[in-house]
Amino acid sequence: MRPILSIAATTVGEAIRRRVLLVILLIGVLFIVVAPGLGILSARSETTVLRAFMLGVIQGVSMIIAVILTVYMIPNEIERRTIYTILSKPVQRWQFLVGKYLGAVLSLLLMMSMMSAVMGVMFFLQQQSKNPGEIADLLKGPAMYFIQMCLLAAVGIFFSTFLPPLVNFFLSIGVFLVGTFFNPLFQTLQENKNTAPMVKLIAQGVNTFLPNFANYNVQNPIINPTQQIQNEGRYFLGVTVYGVVYISILLIIGILIFDRREV
Amino acid sequence: MAAAIETKQLTKSYKARQAGTINVVDHLDLHVEEGEIFGFLGPNGAGKTTTIKMLLGIIYPTSGEGYVLGKEIGDMDVHRLISYLPERPYYYEHMTGLELLKFYGSLFGITDKEKFVQLLEKVNLHRDMTKPISNYSKGMQQRVGLAQSLLNDPKLLFLDEPTGGLDPIAHREIRDLILSFRDEGRTVFISSHELSEVELICDRVAIINRGVIAAQGKLTELLKGGRIEITAEDVPASLLSDFNIVDANIRTLPSGLLLDMPEENDPNSVIDAIRAHKGRVISVVPRRKRLEDLFVETVSTPGVKS
Ligand SMILES: Nc1ncnc2c1ncn2[C@@H]1O[C@H](COP(=O)(O)OP(=O)(O)OP(=O)(O)O)[C@@H](O)[C@H]1O
Ligand SMILES: [Mg+2]
Repeated sequence: MRPILSIAATTVGEAIRRRVLLVILLIGVLFIVVAPGLGILSARSETTVLRAFMLGVIQGVSMIIAVILTVYMIPNEIERRTIYTILSKPVQRWQFLVGKYLGAVLSLLLMMSMMSAVMGVMFFLQQQSKNPGEIADLLKGPAMYFIQMCLLAAVGIFFSTFLPPLVNFFLSIGVFLVGTFFNPLFQTLQENKNTAPMVKLIAQGVNTFLPNFANYNVQNPIINPTQQIQNEGRYFLGVTVYGVVYISILLIIGILIFDRREV
Repeated sequence: MAAAIETKQLTKSYKARQAGTINVVDHLDLHVEEGEIFGFLGPNGAGKTTTIKMLLGIIYPTSGEGYVLGKEIGDMDVHRLISYLPERPYYYEHMTGLELLKFYGSLFGITDKEKFVQLLEKVNLHRDMTKPISNYSKGMQQRVGLAQSLLNDPKLLFLDEPTGGLDPIAHREIRDLILSFRDEGRTVFISSHELSEVELICDRVAIINRGVIAAQGKLTELLKGGRIEITAEDVPASLLSDFNIVDANIRTLPSGLLLDMPEENDPNSVIDAIRAHKGRVISVVPRRKRLEDLFVETVSTPGVKS
């Protein structure tokens, strides 16, 4: 366990010094800070638009950070030969990969917490404590996104065991977008009686195979205006378990590939 | 003595650009004794780094076998007993020297700060241990690399071109450190093309060229076959025909007679004969074979590779 934690800690140490990530994070924070001041966003007495905007910023920024963080993870280690010294120590490859992943997750946690905190403060200031419970409610959004980003990071790391960064960058973002929009489409297909059985079958396959990123978008009032979750705790638990299982499968396959790979 | 490293027909091939595969390391039989400094020499692209990476389990052999400290390569237990300094190493630059040792130490489960400081003292970096590695000079980076390689008190060290790109003073520091490793009873495997360096510190060497071992053995034996030049005056012509030395060149120079002969053909008796005949020996100069000669000789020999 110790090597995994050391590798994770080192990965966080590197991540919080990556200028690209910091700049993106800063832009995100900036957007959140100015959001309440923007006329269009706060015109309505409803806070729906403002909420959706802030959540959208957090999600978008986190997605880019998650992808940039992970696509370079393995290729950079090999290119800079830092991996050789590590693997010459009593460190198994799976420990290395899991440590790297854990580092990515912790970095995301750190950066997303920061943005969420800023969002909470801005929302509070704008609302003037009309309803503090609303802020707690608002923070459920980033919590869901965090699991979503953990899943995305696993996709990125998985591909980075055998793909160069640039290809991986577009592929991971592609998987994220398809995994976000395919599921709703799939639901419609299933409900439509005119769908050909063949199409249904293929859609069913794709739906099971693709990570379902749409699961985690329920908190955004613009994307999901009508969605009502009966039992929130249960839903949250369900999609978390789904995420953990999916992440584990990705990491296991990633380890199998990485184990055989020449570095 | 037991073998620290043993390979049998160890081979690594890669797909070639045009057709087929090429053996980057070609049926290598290496034998490194425990407690010696072993020089692994070869020109660029000879397959030195590839061999080391195979021995460390970082890449996998195409065929053949290899044993490190008696265990088959890839055995994780061995990784507790060995260490590796890659060529042109790079470390996480945001770390300080001390943090770097803490990080690598933790991979062994070592957390003793005193040990880290001691190691940094050994490589003379204790004054700079709180500076980030990005501010270190090349020599300092190489020294922090050596400190890192001593964390687990290894029995066997793999050093890939440890003096590459360093100035003469840094060379010397590294050389002294490596010699101290041997005094501490460690086996050191050095890959290099810095021949003068290797000549000074290695007990045995192997010369590898295009993946094939061209020569392997004790340095003293490989460098046998030096020559001796004897310059003498007033040597009677009659004596010259008596010498009858195999492979000798005799030339008459204005300063006298120059006799160039193989070291092993008993130069002493020649000197005695000259003096017995009232000749005057002016100088006796041994022309040792140098590692460089051997290297150029073996590496430029065509047809080693089929
Ligand atoms: N992954 C690879 N794919 C194809 N060829 C490779 C690969 N790795 C190494 N080679 C080739 O293997 C040969 C030996 O490389 P290696 O790095 O072992 O040489 P070296 O003896 O360490 O040389 P140097 O002194 O330059 O460090 C080179 O010709 C190199 O191009
Ligand atoms: Mg090399």
